[in-house]
Amino acid sequence: MLRFAARRLVSMAFVLFSISVLTFLIFFATPGVDPAARIAGRNADQQTLRLVRKDFGLDKPLPVQYGLMMKKLFITRDLTSFVNRGAKVIPQVTQAAPVTLSLVFGAAVIWVVMSIAMGLLAAVFRGSPIDAAVMIVGLIGISMPVFWLGEVVNLLSQSRFHHTIFFSWVPPLGYISFTQSPWGWFKALLLPWLTLSVLFIGIYARVLRSALVEAQEEDYVRTARAKGITERRVMLRHALRTSLIAFVSLFGLDFGALVGGGALLTEVVFGLHGIGKLTFDSLQNLDLPVILATVIYAAFFVVLANAVVDLVYALLDPRVRRA
Amino acid sequence: MSRAGKFVVLCSVVALVVVAAGQGSTNASHRGGTLKLYAKAAGGTLDPQVNYTLEYWQLFQATYDGLLAFKKAGGNDAFTVVPDLAQNLPTPTNGGKTWVFKLRSGIKFSNGAPLTVNDVVASLRRIFKVKSPTSGTFYAGIVGAKACLAKPATCTLKGGVIGNAKANTVTINLIAPDPEFKYRLAVPHATIVPAGSPTKDAGTKPLPGTGAYYFASYDPNKQLVMKRNPNFKEWSHAAQPDGYPDQIVESYGLTVEAQVTAVENGQADWTYENVPADRLGEIGTKYASQVHVEPLTAFWYLPMNVNLPPFNNLKARQAVNYAIDRNAAVKIFGGPNLATPSCQVLPPGFPGHQDYCPYTKSPGTKWSAPDVAKAKQLVKESGTAGQKVTVYSSDDEVNKAMAVYTQSVLNEIGYKASVKPISVNIFFTYVQNTKNKVQINVQQWYQDYPAASDFLYILFGCESFHPGSDSSINFSGFCNKPINAQMHKALKLGVTNEAAANVLWAKIDRQVTDQAPMATLFSPKHLDFVSKRVGNFTFSKQFYWLVDQSWVQ
Amino acid sequence: MWGRGRGSAPTDHVGVSAAATDGARVSEREQVPVGASPWALARRRLRRNTIAMVMLCVLAVIVVACLAAPIYAHHVAHTNPFRSNLDGTTVVNGKSVPVMPLSTTGLGLGSVPIGPTWDPAHFLLGADDQGRDVAARLLYGGRNSLLIGTAAALITCFFATIVGILAGFFGGLLDGVLSRLLDVVWAFPVYLLAISLSTVLLQRSFSIGPLKLQSGSLLLPILIIGVVYIPYVARPIRGEVLSLRRREFVEAAEGLGASTWRVLWSDILRNVVTTAIVFFPLMLAIDMLTEAALSFLSIGVQPPDASWGTIILDGQGLLYTRPTVAIAPGIAIAVTVLALNVLGDGVRDALDPRAKLRVFD
Repeated sequence: MLRFAARRLVSMAFVLFSISVLTFLIFFATPGVDPAARIAGRNADQQTLRLVRKDFGLDKPLPVQYGLMMKKLFITRDLTSFVNRGAKVIPQVTQAAPVTLSLVFGAAVIWVVMSIAMGLLAAVFRGSPIDAAVMIVGLIGISMPVFWLGEVVNLLSQSRFHHTIFFSWVPPLGYISFTQSPWGWFKALLLPWLTLSVLFIGIYARVLRSALVEAQEEDYVRTARAKGITERRVMLRHALRTSLIAFVSLFGLDFGALVGGGALLTEVVFGLHGIGKLTFDSLQNLDLPVILATVIYAAFFVVLANAVVDLVYALLDPRVRRA
Repeated sequence: MSRAGKFVVLCSVVALVVVAAGQGSTNASHRGGTLKLYAKAAGGTLDPQVNYTLEYWQLFQATYDGLLAFKKAGGNDAFTVVPDLAQNLPTPTNGGKTWVFKLRSGIKFSNGAPLTVNDVVASLRRIFKVKSPTSGTFYAGIVGAKACLAKPATCTLKGGVIGNAKANTVTINLIAPDPEFKYRLAVPHATIVPAGSPTKDAGTKPLPGTGAYYFASYDPNKQLVMKRNPNFKEWSHAAQPDGYPDQIVESYGLTVEAQVTAVENGQADWTYENVPADRLGEIGTKYASQVHVEPLTAFWYLPMNVNLPPFNNLKARQAVNYAIDRNAAVKIFGGPNLATPSCQVLPPGFPGHQDYCPYTKSPGTKWSAPDVAKAKQLVKESGTAGQKVTVYSSDDEVNKAMAVYTQSVLNEIGYKASVKPISVNIFFTYVQNTKNKVQINVQQWYQDYPAASDFLYILFGCESFHPGSDSSINFSGFCNKPINAQMHKALKLGVTNEAAANVLWAKIDRQVTDQAPMATLFSPKHLDFVSKRVGNFTFSKQFYWLVDQSWVQ
Repeated sequence: MWGRGRGSAPTDHVGVSAAATDGARVSEREQVPVGASPWALARRRLRRNTIAMVMLCVLAVIVVACLAAPIYAHHVAHTNPFRSNLDGTTVVNGKSVPVMPLSTTGLGLGSVPIGPTWDPAHFLLGADDQGRDVAARLLYGGRNSLLIGTAAALITCFFATIVGILAGFFGGLLDGVLSRLLDVVWAFPVYLLAISLSTVLLQRSFSIGPLKLQSGSLLLPILIIGVVYIPYVARPIRGEVLSLRRREFVEAAEGLGASTWRVLWSDILRNVVTTAIVFFPLMLAIDMLTEAALSFLSIGVQPPDASWGTIILDGQGLLYTRPTVAIAPGIAIAVTVLALNVLGDGVRDALDPRAKLRVFD
């Protein structure tokens, strides 16, 4: 088991390293983004440009430059933006992280609760029109482009029905921090939470439902049923508990990706200054240091979630360790 | 001017009278509150000596001062230069070459340090040390500037700027008399900051200033916060009046559509962006009292790179000029009440402006209709048909729509055009750099001060073309030796005979238009859309809405 | 995952996220039954699945309508949907009206494009901010969206099958290298790739063998989307190959002296092709959502060409005054993706009746 964990750790490090190198190379292959001119400021003469290149190590071979940038990012932690001169990268990430966490955490609560309810409902009424209806509603949710859904929500809540009783409580687009006003935080995030969760409810309900259906066929559930335990208790006590494994592992992967900035489009549409928006802006600005920081940040969570889920599986199922 | 425009001007005149009558003590009940501004993206560096965007120049009015300032007043009054940190506007001596400024005493920076002669001298040197975008044009006439431009790091402006701490005076010596020098000292690049300020672009770190407000925090991804300067005492209502709101916050990141909706809902007080044409109808009827329209001296145009195919061919450039339907462009911007079609560089009403339009159905003084047949023929003659052209624009709604329209026109006259919208944050510098090989882009130019040279010489003079630099405001890379020589002549002539100089500028305007380094689209009017609670809207023709002079309660 | 749509990232295709992630693990642990002659059986099962067949019809209607886009534009609507039409006019109730009428009320500012007329010959769904016919653009856009989705899904399934088989069958170093590669692609942000490539291509074209990529080429979104999803399909296929290798009939074939290639061809490939086919409609669904997201970030299809994503982007500016422009393409995407998801489920049920994820029993 320990060896498996160690191997997983090494491969995690490898993936992160490769991604940072790839990002770095892609950026330097992009023309018109020579950072020296921008760092030096407007109208810089050739001499100044040379000095800047030297100061920032931009005249060194690419591997050295890569090393320098990583050093600034992780060791001295004073990496600054190429576009917004003087703005340090790490504080930008740490300030954006709580916004993304708030968004993802709330959405996750909603989608987990809703999907368990829907999955249970569908499994209990398996084969009936209720089952079909619940599953179709879930599928519709996952078939919509999230940015489009967000725009439509904005249209209704900020414009068409803003002055009606339904949406008059909706604050302006943007984030309100929890410490500033917990109630404002909740109001500002409720619609983004719902929008984001709609995209997950359907799939989680399906996963849960099929796991439940399968579990119902298992011997121990049959035994429980034979013992005369009511159908509801069988469902809640036995089948649900075992079915949650697939559910939880899927959740781990999604949650990791979202915390890393995967909710990019939701953040952009609702004007939330989270990791996703930061990534989006830095890409628009071709701002390499911020791009690097956010990409590594995102990849870290994706890879971490993967590793954790794999480890859990390995703990539960020894056969996986060989694979 | 539209009816609305007249109405607004009248209003602001009334407001001015009221303010002038009360002088400072007025409307104490309106003091306080937070003014909430929206912009799609930040305007880059916050260094007043480096930033060259309207977005921040507008805000610098309330935070920074120079020796001189444009009067903080509505309408044409705003073109008047008044003494700011200097006690009075001196008359230059020594044949117009020597300016002696006596500093006011008792003024403090927002960090508490008193303003001294030393700060003024250091700030004028700092223009060169931070390589301010206008250092080579606006301030190159100061004695010693040449050495400073060559070696910014060791800039002293020896013989050019002399401080006398005892007399509390600063003397500036020019190489030659310059009638525009007072304007140049009144724009943000000549801001006075503390002597200890870093000698490189301060970027996102706000510098202390002497204005009624100071920048408390700046995060280009999120917001800019301005608070009352605790050390500020009004010394000249005309130069730096006290403001009404306690705090001014500009937030970034929402789409312009969402911003307009937020202002309609009263969630925000103003949007910096151009309101898209389809929303104008609604705000012009339902929210008419919150809309302020003002004529401007500015123009929207498509600079064409005269050094890159296909636009290194005069006929190709002229073809674009003939083909562009200015009415369509005006429609994208918001209709004839917000813009007037134009073919030339100098906007109507500007010194040196004479109506001229060779690129229309019946060439003459005014644009009437596009001549697509002629355009197609010119493209054919130029032999550039079928070439690829990329139209660059910033990625806000109006500019993007303008780029898509341009693309459609280029395709129609025989090119293979594509569109590339770029984030506003980097667009302005990106398209200037010749390394990026931008063939044509959607631009707009708003005056720095009311002089023909600010359009013709700055945008199309050889001296503003710097290949390979991010700061090459001559987007077209246009450098025509005979025309440039005439510009220098006109600049010199302006010292002695302004009227004669303006006649010459009108001729230069025609020559540049004939060479077509750009296709002019229209002269815009400026529209501000504010929330219901904003009172005392004052529009300076120089720096637009005087943000801090409006109240929110 | 981030970047390929987990989360509200473009795809949120979720349907597949579960199929891919869960499926990967499932097939690594479970034995997949091998039908004797599955195709005829599968077809019959699929045909009996009413909902899937209904969705197949919906999909067919959408595809035919999109293919007929030029007919609609030239012979019904008489419009060129790729040309700015700011001064154009059209006919409503027998009267000629401008497509972009200038506002005459209030301060007389601005112009709002004509709204839906519900008349197929004259701006059925109204005009966009360039005065172009939205209905015609929608059909043309559908062609691009479907083309990109299909081509990308084909690329994904094709290369995923190859990679999955190579890694699973030969194991060892090859498996190690390929699996790490898949890990990297899995965690790499798709937007970064898309934005950088589109910027590079703005200034010079670049070639990969016989393929020549140019700015605005549809190949760009196709390749990007096709490549980033390879791990989703390759991982489960690798797992399946691993388990197949240990099965009696493969071991028997090898014991009888069958060549490696023969085993690969007749025993492995024929079995995993089923998996690839099961994934195809689901990948197509994700790919269409991803395409929409990339276009929404203005890095997919370049104007004046359209895709459903770019039309949503165009409509975003008109959302508050002419919401049809943004809502119509969104509905088109949602209906198409829904049909693909249901159909995909149907295909899975038909080909692999013991599959764990099913909408309807």
